Amino acid sequence: MAKRVTTLSSRLVLVMLAIHAVLLPVLFFAISTVVRQNMADAFVDDSRAQSRIVADSLELDPDGPQSLLMEQLDSAILGGRIVHASIKLRDTEISSSLMSDDDLALFNEDFEFGDHSDNIYYVSLPIVSSDSMAILHLGFDESMTQGHFKEVQRSIVIIIIAYLFITLIAAVFLSATVIRPLRWLQRASRTVASGEYDKKLQTDSNIVEIHDLTEDLERMRSNLVTVNARLRHAQRLKSLGTLAGGVAHEFNNVLQPLLLYTELALEDLPDGSPIASNLERVLELANRAKGLSKQILMFGRLDDDAELTVVPVTPVVEEAVTMIRALLPANVDLRIDIDPDAGHVRCDPAQIQQLVVNLCNNAFQALTAGDAHIGVSLMRKTVDAKQAAGHPHLNAGKYAVLDVTDTGRGMDAETVERIYEPFFTTQEVGEGTGLGLSVVHGIVRRHDGEILLNSKLGEGTRFRIYLPRVDVAGNDEHKQR
Amino acid sequence: MANILVIDDEKDVRVVLKEVLRRAGYDVTLAANGADGLEKLAADGADMVITDVIMPGMHGVAIVQKIRETHPDIPIIVISGGGNVAPMDYEPGAISTSAYLASATKAGANDTLTKPFERQELLDAVGALLDA
Repeated sequence: MAKRVTTLSSRLVLVMLAIHAVLLPVLFFAISTVVRQNMADAFVDDSRAQSRIVADSLELDPDGPQSLLMEQLDSAILGGRIVHASIKLRDTEISSSLMSDDDLALFNEDFEFGDHSDNIYYVSLPIVSSDSMAILHLGFDESMTQGHFKEVQRSIVIIIIAYLFITLIAAVFLSATVIRPLRWLQRASRTVASGEYDKKLQTDSNIVEIHDLTEDLERMRSNLVTVNARLRHAQRLKSLGTLAGGVAHEFNNVLQPLLLYTELALEDLPDGSPIASNLERVLELANRAKGLSKQILMFGRLDDDAELTVVPVTPVVEEAVTMIRALLPANVDLRIDIDPDAGHVRCDPAQIQQLVVNLCNNAFQALTAGDAHIGVSLMRKTVDAKQAAGHPHLNAGKYAVLDVTDTGRGMDAETVERIYEPFFTTQEVGEGTGLGLSVVHGIVRRHDGEILLNSKLGEGTRFRIYLPRVDVAGNDEHKQR
Repeated sequence: MANILVIDDEKDVRVVLKEVLRRAGYDVTLAANGADGLEKLAADGADMVITDVIMPGMHGVAIVQKIRETHPDIPIIVISGGGNVAPMDYEPGAISTSAYLASATKAGANDTLTKPFERQELLDAVGALLDA
């Protein structure tokens, strides 16, 4: 069965109507009953009291003329409410001359208010005097009280309808207050869904649920923005890698004949020729170019010749640090903090060492003042799902984490955005290749790791590398894959 | 004197390889693409084939497969310029140099070299296969 889809406001109004359709008739019936009972009691009391007054005012004289009694009964009827007046004296029935025979016939012992449909309430009153006994019959007109009752009923209906009307308006108004922010949220989420998510979602609604919903949506939107930016970044790096790979291919096809022709030319020269030293220089440069193209390919992760093996990561990093100490000027403050057992990782040790060296070289280039220092630390870390969220290459699980920090000049957002691009460098042309961090990026990707970067202009930079830890047998300690 | 067939779409690479091998004492036949190379191999025969892997038209792995159909024992060296210029008809997923070279080895290539290599690397590889 297809589920009916309705708007919130129509649903609210329908529910309100359904509740009232049950409750209001019951309410009407209850109020009517109470009011009618009250009115009937008042009518009956009043009628009895009046009957007694009439009875007391009668001058009973059994031997007197009937016309006197008749006149007295007439005057009772002329008083207003009484429509039937007769008296039974001994065996004689004397009635008011104002009554027709039909009225007389109607008398039928109706002593209950509202009984029968004659609209008359009868009272029979025995009158006892010293020498005689008579029964007075009086009929009271109910129609006025019945009319009052109908009027009251009509008022009740009007009040109930007014109440219903007011509650309906309230329901519509209430749903509007709930729905307005919802509609706004709906529009906002549509905008986000259509791919425009630069605008922050905010609400001034003081309904807690709406407020929370907006906050959740806003969190989703800002996550989307972050993930999207990362994705774009990753995509650009990937296409750059592809491009770089294509360039490297052409480059190698040019380098190949350059290298071989130079070797052939060198062979042709007589020993000690002055040209030879120049050609050897050409050979050297060709070999340097070869190294460059290898690095470009490593960025694109294309040169994955080396096997990955399961090794303890600590000695690999320690060896790299030894190399760095030798490479950096002696006055550079290098602070090392390496966990003696940071666990096993599946890696190409040479590439991990290159990664450490490249990062430290980058840190060294960023140093400015004399008291600045470079930090290298290696530790175990367990990443939970929350930390992994938003980082496409990070999964919940155990990692060996390598930090390379410097207290150098730091980078602005623009530089951070482009930092892994091949040939991107902040240094003077000719001073750096612009490949160091590209290679780092390629190596991290190749090892299924993640690289995070924290940099503040003027304060320094921290590169954090996550390498997935495995056990000694090489079994993955991650929930990924 | 051993005759070596060199297949490479880059003219400069072909020509310099011919010169290097000629000086080392080999006869060299050149072909600019796979179809041409297979034709020359069928017509004149050869003692060894050196082929590039990423070429327009027939790529190196297909060339190795074709040669192995008719010449199960001829030594083949596959050389690659590296990079990721994948031929359209060849495994779109395999974009790395090592993936090409691994496929070539699987197809029956005896040795692989990545450009740019030095003269001695080439001569060592050729010598090892022809002396065997």
